[in-house]
Amino acid sequence: MSDLAKEKAARLLKKRGSVSSLGSHDVRAKETRDKTKDSISTVSYIDEPGHHDDNPRPAVQMENTFQLAPYRRFPVLTVNDILKDVLASYLQEEKYEAELCRQMTKTISEVIKARVKDLMVPRYKIIVLISIGQLSDQNMRIGSRCLWDASNDTFSSHTFKNSSLFAVANVYAVYFE
Amino acid sequence: MDEFQTGEETAFVVDEVSTIIKESVEGAIGGNAYQHSRVNQWTTNIVEQSLSQLSKLGKPFKYIVTCVIMQKNGAGLQTASSCFWDNTTDGSCTVRWENKSMYCIVSVFGLAI
Repeated sequence: MSDLAKEKAARLLKKRGSVSSLGSHDVRAKETRDKTKDSISTVSYIDEPGHHDDNPRPAVQMENTFQLAPYRRFPVLTVNDILKDVLASYLQEEKYEAELCRQMTKTISEVIKARVKDLMVPRYKIIVLISIGQLSDQNMRIGSRCLWDASNDTFSSHTFKNSSLFAVANVYAVYFE
Repeated sequence: MDEFQTGEETAFVVDEVSTIIKESVEGAIGGNAYQHSRVNQWTTNIVEQSLSQLSKLGKPFKYIVTCVIMQKNGAGLQTASSCFWDNTTDGSCTVRWENKSMYCIVSVFGLAI
């Protein structure tokens, strides 16, 4: 990754104090393998939720807000622009290389998350999913379905392509009732 | 909103979810070779099957299921995800499945209501 892009990302993330797996080595990713006659499957997940031994927080009692719907809806078009902007600026001149793109996906997803958080849309949980792949003769299909409340939850998606790679960015926004 | 369940039942249980996903994938594409004409239907089947099984769990969760099917051709693919949520109740799980002719990557994100 070019130094300029790395610095830009580091500054952005430091300003927001966000925790990410970019620099830290204590993120525990677990994997289990399974093999059948002609296929292999691997499951991976980050540290199981709800099982933190250090400093268990007492369950927070939330008061009723009597609020049925979000006061401010998630700005899909603004997020579309953010995705276009970030993907173009980080990937315009890059060639596909395994190590570079590994770091790049992590960086881009953190940067997009930080910028979407900056929009300060209250009570929305954000999921950002980035895939960067090499352009060769292969074919690929990406699909997703969501079980959620269609009136409040939404998503935003953007694809970027240059001569040697393609990138797909998906942002899902889920309202926290 | 009053919760009538204990914390144990309302956390994201990775094992259950990964079993459901593996079954959906095996059921939809197990034993098949990559076919361009059927890929669309396969992704739809995998995702819809997973989602209906997940909703049958009856937990107070919203789910997002993403599936990527890629032909094995020597090309590389990197995927990353970044989430802004409540660490104690929400979780995600990714299942990577492959056979001789294709890769299938399914990610499930579960967000507590």
